[in-house]
Amino acid sequence: MYDPPVRIAVLMPAYNEAGRLLDTLTELCRDRGDAEICVFLVDDGSTPPLARDELRAAAGAMPIVLARHAVNLGQGAAIETARQLALRPRFSLHNAPFDAFVTMDSDGQHRPCDVLALARAIADGADVALGNRFAGGSNVPLSRRLLLAFARSFERVTTGLALSDAHNGLRAFSARAITRMHLTHNRMAHATEFTQQISRASRNGERLGVIEVPVSVRYTDASRAKGQKASGAVAIVVDLFHGFLFGKGSP
Amino acid sequence: MSLEITPAAIALIGLLAALLLHDVTTIKNRRLLALQIIVFTAGAVLIVCPEIARRLARAVGIGRGVDFVLYPLVIWLVRESLLTRRRRHEDEAKMTEIVRAMAIDKAHFVSGNGVSRSSAPLQSDASASS
Repeated sequence: MYDPPVRIAVLMPAYNEAGRLLDTLTELCRDRGDAEICVFLVDDGSTPPLARDELRAAAGAMPIVLARHAVNLGQGAAIETARQLALRPRFSLHNAPFDAFVTMDSDGQHRPCDVLALARAIADGADVALGNRFAGGSNVPLSRRLLLAFARSFERVTTGLALSDAHNGLRAFSARAITRMHLTHNRMAHATEFTQQISRASRNGERLGVIEVPVSVRYTDASRAKGQKASGAVAIVVDLFHGFLFGKGSP
Repeated sequence: MSLEITPAAIALIGLLAALLLHDVTTIKNRRLLALQIIVFTAGAVLIVCPEIARRLARAVGIGRGVDFVLYPLVIWLVRESLLTRRRRHEDEAKMTEIVRAMAIDKAHFVSGNGVSRSSAPLQSDASASS
């Protein structure tokens, strides 16, 4: 039986990633197999701006749609911009809809094979596939483990979803699910917002099939330096509280 | 009621005068400046003549004159803080919308072969961006 290639929209925010982003694109292009991938890359106000020629050279034949925020807004805002772009007919691949929408970091933490695994899970019928780095052999630093354990408990209390890895940047959505995700938190609280919206959709009777897929996250010195810290966790809680207080999410 | 010119009162009055001098030269909104002058003057009077605050405090059932000034001040500051945060929140949400609209409007393919590069009508794009 003919199994058509999975059509994947990769939603990728980038802020001052430079070389790591180009390596990520090169690797994704090289290891994409028979999947049809289009990267929706949002330059979140990088200085200097991402260079088109370098992107073109890195991505080869893999299509990239580039959008640029005039000022730095935050990762959540960049993902939301990428999401909106990916739903626009003018950026479809060969005028056909995407099977899966995958959020992926641009700093080389995420592996192309995990992107394909998540997209395959969506193609097989799931609405939401969340990467689980604890089941995928990642060398998660102890400090990050403790922080993520707190995040997991927080999400369980606030959303009712019992997830193994609540704040993994690798997530995949079906076309049905991605239209129900609308991020209003500009910064890192968007990860919690995703789970809140998945939970809310289920409460509204639009039950979304959620599965967790083992993935491996590659931690480097650069990613550790850039990643979430305890102060970042406090900022997320403050952002969520502001969103609760003022009603529209925290920009 | 006698004036109480203590070192603390002199320091506070000096601070008020310095702030007012700074704001007179920088604030262009005359109404705001007038309001500030009135509030600062009232504050200066209460500093050099605390008996006024004491009498007012006793009249409304508050023990100390300083508490009479502090209680409403704290309430006002908390309210101002919340209002300011809400305004900043709304302004940033508006800025996000503008920046995003500009980014989407100028988005384009930078690589890829065999990609449909034709732009669909804008109204169909708008309907897809929920």
